[in-house]
Amino acid sequence: MRIAMVGWEYPPFKAGGLGTHCYGLTRGLADKNIHVDFYMPKTNKKVTSDNPNLRIIEVGETTVFPYDRPDDKELEGNFFESVYRYNDLVVEKVKGKYDAIHVHDWLTMKAGVQLKEKLGIPLILSVHSTEYDRSGWLSPNQWFIDIEREGMQKADTIIAVSHFTKRICVEKYGIDPDKIHVIHNAVYPIDEGEKQDLVLFLGRLTIQKGPEFFLHAAKKIIDYGVKPKFVVAGSGDMLPKLIRTAVNLGISPYVIFTGLLTEEEVRHIYQIASVYVMPSVSEPFGITALEAISAGTPTIVSKTAGVAEALSNCLRVDFWDVDEMANKIISLLTYDELHRTMAKEGRREIDLFTWDRVANKTLEVYKGVMM
Amino acid sequence: MTSVCFYFEVHQPVRVNRFSVFQIGKESSPYEYFNSQLNQKIFEKVANKCYLPTNNLLLELIEQYNKKFRISFSLTGTFVDYCRQHMPEIIDSFRSLVDTGAVDLIEETYFHSLSGLYDELDEFEEQVLMHKYMLKDLFNYRSTVFRNTEAIYDNRIAKKVSDMGYKGIITEGTEKILGWRSPNYLYKPVNTDIKVLLRNYTLSDDVGFRFSAKGWVGFPLTADKYVGWMSQNQGDLINLFMDYETFGEHQWEDTGIFDFLRHLPGQVLDKDHMDFVTVGEAISRFQPMGEIDVPWAISWADEDRDVSTWLGNDMQRACFRELQDIGRQVKDQNDPHLLDAWRKLQTSDHLYYISTKGFEDGAVHSYFSHYDNPYDGFINYMNILQDFKQKFI
Repeated sequence: MRIAMVGWEYPPFKAGGLGTHCYGLTRGLADKNIHVDFYMPKTNKKVTSDNPNLRIIEVGETTVFPYDRPDDKELEGNFFESVYRYNDLVVEKVKGKYDAIHVHDWLTMKAGVQLKEKLGIPLILSVHSTEYDRSGWLSPNQWFIDIEREGMQKADTIIAVSHFTKRICVEKYGIDPDKIHVIHNAVYPIDEGEKQDLVLFLGRLTIQKGPEFFLHAAKKIIDYGVKPKFVVAGSGDMLPKLIRTAVNLGISPYVIFTGLLTEEEVRHIYQIASVYVMPSVSEPFGITALEAISAGTPTIVSKTAGVAEALSNCLRVDFWDVDEMANKIISLLTYDELHRTMAKEGRREIDLFTWDRVANKTLEVYKGVMM
Repeated sequence: MTSVCFYFEVHQPVRVNRFSVFQIGKESSPYEYFNSQLNQKIFEKVANKCYLPTNNLLLELIEQYNKKFRISFSLTGTFVDYCRQHMPEIIDSFRSLVDTGAVDLIEETYFHSLSGLYDELDEFEEQVLMHKYMLKDLFNYRSTVFRNTEAIYDNRIAKKVSDMGYKGIITEGTEKILGWRSPNYLYKPVNTDIKVLLRNYTLSDDVGFRFSAKGWVGFPLTADKYVGWMSQNQGDLINLFMDYETFGEHQWEDTGIFDFLRHLPGQVLDKDHMDFVTVGEAISRFQPMGEIDVPWAISWADEDRDVSTWLGNDMQRACFRELQDIGRQVKDQNDPHLLDAWRKLQTSDHLYYISTKGFEDGAVHSYFSHYDNPYDGFINYMNILQDFKQKFI
């Protein structure tokens, strides 16, 4: 079987869960003797493959970042143009004999639709996030929604990373639920480390990820008299605002903003964190929760996160309920038995989340659409 | 002749309120721990789906078969308290059943607690006496048979119960204690003189767990088929022990569970070699066939049939330790309200919710739990125990 897959990011060049997913999936498929050509933009990092079944093909340059938002009116024109240019390049460069084309998220949807028509082969679309998620459900941008709807409609089959996301595809985009398969993400486990008195937020500092709720919970915890370090790892457009919030709340001595971390640093911080909090307003999946748990870090996730439906060994909160978030963080820091049991049971459960499983399920979807 | 001994456990726990770390040490009374609204709601729901209709049906059947259909009940103290508070007509209904003379009541710890596993057995004894006085008071009844919480049993409990004057005790007919032997006889403990009734778990769970399981080979289960299975059993008696809530609550009415129950007595009594006994009659009619030695506690719960259901992980054991520590100090204070709150917190269900068992047992646990998961259960319960300790001791 030969698959043309179009993505945007691929380790070591990555910004989020999409890159991690593409890496795990393509390698999992290649291990099963599926030939995958992975098309992506040219980057300044060296992206390669050591598996003969998997080729990484760079198709040209783009200045677009899939998590960027054209809020700036001036940027807007360039942004849209750049997206179209990348998609045209992809359509031009994808050549050869394939059994199916598989694209990921809005940025490559246009190319996917055109390639399906040009090559006459089935189109599989993976939905890792929607415009509703990325905007935190506040004024979603119609331009993205239109692209997403067209892609979802024209795809022969859709893979959603959670039932949470499937529901959005059905309810907000009017897609037939029978066309959508749910495949939960997986993780490459991280070794456990020596835990420190440290509570971690890690993610893009955008409205979608809910970092301000983390700070408000931190304030409650400090007022209560428990004083760990609160680490906010990542970068994003909300960083200046978050720093101001920490100052205004009077908790800045306890809060560390690390900025963007390297992969090595990310692994380290998961290892030493005592608690990981993912207070996303809307999170299609949330691989970071799996990463934290694999490192033996008990994890609190938002109820509006796909991972919340897939995991037993995590705590769930409403992202806005900072009292309950604080209650759970304090409990994890105070009750050793709770921390120990969650760390142990969580690591055991993580063994089920393998990329091999994701590849198997994806392969089933391929076979279903090729029949 | 094989006798069928039907026995039902009737229990509702006192569920607690949401209690966060921020409430610890704040002004409040111990009664505020308990979620009276939720408890009332669940109680009334189960009463209408199970307790009232099943009681009526059983009363009808006892009369229809001229008291040859005979059954036994244990009513936990927390259950009886709900009846008294919200629906006294349920007590009247049980009274009518007892008055037929075809119904035995069984004694246990008032609060359906794990006090039988405490380091000292003084609290256990007090709770058993409370239950005994309650049966005397409400039903003018004195029982000779004892069933500990969820059939938790070991040599020490058997000895204590025997010393308190009981003639019979109920537990699980697990291979752990029986080996190759059959549960369909009475046994006696190695260390004391009391008759032990052993639950036939295969036949009991056919009704309690599998009745409506479509993937099960026995599905659909009819009274005819079931009595056919029973009649192939060797032995003196078949002990069918299950949650009373099986009827109408765990198995909803539309599964046909009430029809099954309605047809069961007739099918049994049609067989020449079968009849019904209450637990009291069973222990006076039959003699023990052998001895059992149970140094480590067993129970009727989960696949493990031990106490790991309540004390299987570090969180559960930590709460259990706290609970015992609090008790030693509460007792010195002579405050009946405080003592009552502590005892309601001893109900085994609180620890049951904190179990982290996976797969099938886990699914059963979450069916019964009002928490999102065991960790939430722990946080809430431990917060309450910490508050109790800080505020009242």
